Amino acid sequence: MSRVKLSEYRAKKMLLGNDYAGLSIRTEGGDTLPKDGRWVAKVDQGVKKRFKQGLVVVDKSAAELNAVIDGWRSKGFSQFILEPFFSHNMKEEQYFSMERVREGIRILHAKDGGVDIEAHPEAVKHYLITSAADVPAVAATSGMPHAFLQNCIDVFDKNFLAFLEINPLVIVDGQAHLLDAAVLVDDAGAFFTDVWGEDDLVRSKTRHPAEARVEALASTTPASLKLSVINPDGALFSLLSGGGGSIVIADEAQLKGAGSMIGNYGEYSGGPTREETYLYAKEVIGVMLASKAAKKALVIAGGIANFTDMKSTFSGIIDALTEVAQIMRAAGIKVFVRRGGPNEAAGLKIMREFLEKESLLGSIDGSDSIITKAVDDAIHFIQI
Amino acid sequence: MNTIEQIRSGRTGILIAGNHEKIVQSILDFDFLSGKKEPSIVGLVSGNRKAQKFFFGPREILLPCYKGFEQIPAEHASRIAWLLNLQSGRRTFDSTVAFFAAFPQALGAHLFAENVPERHATELIRRFGAEKLIAGPSGVGLVVPGYLKLGAIGGTDPVQLSASRLGTAGSIAVVSTSGGMTNELIRAVASAGKRLSFSISIGGDRFPVTSLTDVLKLAESDPATATIVYFGELGGSDEYEIVELIKSKQLTKPVLAYIAGIIDEAFDEHMQFGHAKALVARADESARAKRDALLAAGAQAPETFPQFLEAMRSLPSTDFHDTVFDTAPLMDRHKSILSTRTILDLSDAPAFVKDGAIVPRSSAMFASMSLKALLGREVSATASAFVEAVFELLIDHGGNVSGAVNTMITARAGRDLVSSLASGILTIGPRFGGAVTEAARTWIDGVSSGMHAAAFVEARTKGGAVLSGIGHRKYRIGIPDPRVATLAQFATLLKKHPHYDFARSVEEVTTGKNGSLILNVDGVIAAVLIDIFVEVDGFTAEQLQELLDIEFFNALFVIPRTVGFIAHFMEQKRNDEGLFRLPDDLLFIRDTKPKDKPDTR
Repeated sequence: MSRVKLSEYRAKKMLLGNDYAGLSIRTEGGDTLPKDGRWVAKVDQGVKKRFKQGLVVVDKSAAELNAVIDGWRSKGFSQFILEPFFSHNMKEEQYFSMERVREGIRILHAKDGGVDIEAHPEAVKHYLITSAADVPAVAATSGMPHAFLQNCIDVFDKNFLAFLEINPLVIVDGQAHLLDAAVLVDDAGAFFTDVWGEDDLVRSKTRHPAEARVEALASTTPASLKLSVINPDGALFSLLSGGGGSIVIADEAQLKGAGSMIGNYGEYSGGPTREETYLYAKEVIGVMLASKAAKKALVIAGGIANFTDMKSTFSGIIDALTEVAQIMRAAGIKVFVRRGGPNEAAGLKIMREFLEKESLLGSIDGSDSIITKAVDDAIHFIQI
Repeated sequence: MNTIEQIRSGRTGILIAGNHEKIVQSILDFDFLSGKKEPSIVGLVSGNRKAQKFFFGPREILLPCYKGFEQIPAEHASRIAWLLNLQSGRRTFDSTVAFFAAFPQALGAHLFAENVPERHATELIRRFGAEKLIAGPSGVGLVVPGYLKLGAIGGTDPVQLSASRLGTAGSIAVVSTSGGMTNELIRAVASAGKRLSFSISIGGDRFPVTSLTDVLKLAESDPATATIVYFGELGGSDEYEIVELIKSKQLTKPVLAYIAGIIDEAFDEHMQFGHAKALVARADESARAKRDALLAAGAQAPETFPQFLEAMRSLPSTDFHDTVFDTAPLMDRHKSILSTRTILDLSDAPAFVKDGAIVPRSSAMFASMSLKALLGREVSATASAFVEAVFELLIDHGGNVSGAVNTMITARAGRDLVSSLASGILTIGPRFGGAVTEAARTWIDGVSSGMHAAAFVEARTKGGAVLSGIGHRKYRIGIPDPRVATLAQFATLLKKHPHYDFARSVEEVTTGKNGSLILNVDGVIAAVLIDIFVEVDGFTAEQLQELLDIEFFNALFVIPRTVGFIAHFMEQKRNDEGLFRLPDDLLFIRDTKPKDKPDTR
């Protein structure tokens, strides 16, 4: 469902097979560093503009590698690649990318430019591959070796790639050299390929532990569960449902000038069970309770569900709230609700009864009220 | 006539792949509330069951389930216009391709799964994008008020269907990538006092098969649609498609849009929101840029959601007459936990004696009534007469057969009628009396394979397997089974008897190897009855297959032999010789050598 970054090591291994002489360094002390030769070392965690950040070193002796990698480790990085140093002329640098588009595979290529391509968009030529028959013509027009191009397309298609960028690409005597490569794979394709797996996906951001736990939970259910902690000390935390509705509600906070108060973004949808909703709600509530904001509100909101049952999902949320009701009451937190969908009347009833009993009720509305009602009420509550 | 109008003209038959009870039930509720006399759902292709219970209005119905698209009987196949694909993302591609191969005339589909690979989606676009209306991958489907609900769209609770006025056709088309917001907008249209012409949830995936452009063109060419209401998000370039269509005058109907995602401006780094497409990759995919472009092209695109709802109230709308859904019959329904049919109708019991005389009845009445009970339909006099003959001949076959022996031993142990009978009945199996169904399967497979008997026997008996319907312990060439000979006479009543002929040619092959491998009584019953069913009663291949699945043919042995076992039981009780014990000289005790004994030291 999403495009996710693949490690550069895996990307090049896929493209070059046994011809790839790079090494992946992941476990401290577990991987042996080379004894001789000249090397390029890079952090392999999908970091953008890593050269400028000093996360790439070029033309180092084997003896120097240990210190370089230790230095990166001390900055919190854990995944690196080593490649034999390849000397080339800057003028030979080309730009090459492929992306899956509606009609097929779109190729962008520039004979000059390489690393500085963004400064020269006019140098980039566009090609579209809709079938295997298009490849020879693109090879001829672009001047890229046919075998290289064909291999890229085969690897791309067979392994469910979504995006591939080689920049710079250096072609010497009809031989392609891939200096830097970035690949996004379609994670829905994971089932259909064994060339890459969960282990090869890289996540550059240091994540909040609650995000990691929600992600683990999401991988065990067909329902959708997402959480991003935006501001751990925010005032406005939300249990939103539905991909679109959740953005509308977050937008409303931003438009009301409360953007900086938002603690988290996330959504649950696709009919999670009561138990799954409980586990998800628990994570969001945990982040909220840890926030140092003086006044806090919990928004339980979403559009009118098509098939997610309100009674069972609200029961799961109530299960999670029950565990911390006293702490929430003591912290003066109020809960604001707007939601519609199957079993709406029953869902609203149990939620209202619970929040009233625990003195946590801010406001509660169903599909008769506007989708933004709960978040508006919550912002008002925080601001007074 | 565009696809939406074809739906309004009645092309609404749905085949479901996979299962999602709530969604399926909501479609049936929509059909019932819309006043349809029969469900739009033709059947489900799902799992190993043959039927599943749902409600149609307050009543329960059984929807047929099939193993594959090719198994759907021709009389239903012609109704199928839509696929509702509820399978997982892993299976969606294959099953969608298989559906359109089986039903090339179908109008389209909704693909519900959220994790269909991009490569599969683009391949579906290449194959079907130009011809079919396919909502998804992902999203909640398509609804045309009063005519078709294909998916979860509009909700799954009858209260929702009613609140969103999905029985009334109007003039506003609602389009969105977001499933949840499609429903929110459908309700908002109703709350604003307007009604829908149709609504399509395109799905939040990067490559929807039917694109936003396709849907907008559909809205433009739909005579019932006056206005388009659209909900979009940051990410992707869909909204520029709207801009292009407006600029090129391919879209002339007014558009009211809301583009969500201003919140992204609050973050340092772009966020991945709920939908696959909602990751801003280029500046022009921001919510603000897209809204500005729509405004510049002349669409209405309010900044906030409340303003958007306000603008919806002022949209022009055609007159409509509300069809109010009465949801009362759909409330408090309770599912039964077993289903069956009326086997014997006793409301109209026949008169057996009238005016002091016995009323004359058909000579095969018990067989005829038994067949009606087993099959749920009337059969020909030929079939009844044949089964009557079977019943008569199979009542008993002497006290030596294993079932009779078990009955007698149990009776001698002092057990009652039912226990003794059960002991006999439980002996019936593949080697004794219970091979009629297997024999029927052999003849049906043989005839439909078109193979010669010799090749068929060769293929079937490879690895030492035995052929059901062939072979007897007592009878052989030269000592024919009198029951087989007399039952075989029924074949002469038929113009054609391919199964009987096939059975005889198999017998010719097998008796060439061993004189005891003759056509036995199980085999002849199966062969002749199949021929009668096909030639006289017009049974189809599917109906014969069903008879095999429900083990019909074995019943023809069990029914009469029950009488025989009871007779043997009664004979034991009459004589009451005490407990039976096998005499020592009739029991051989195998030598166990010392090394086989466990070490007990």
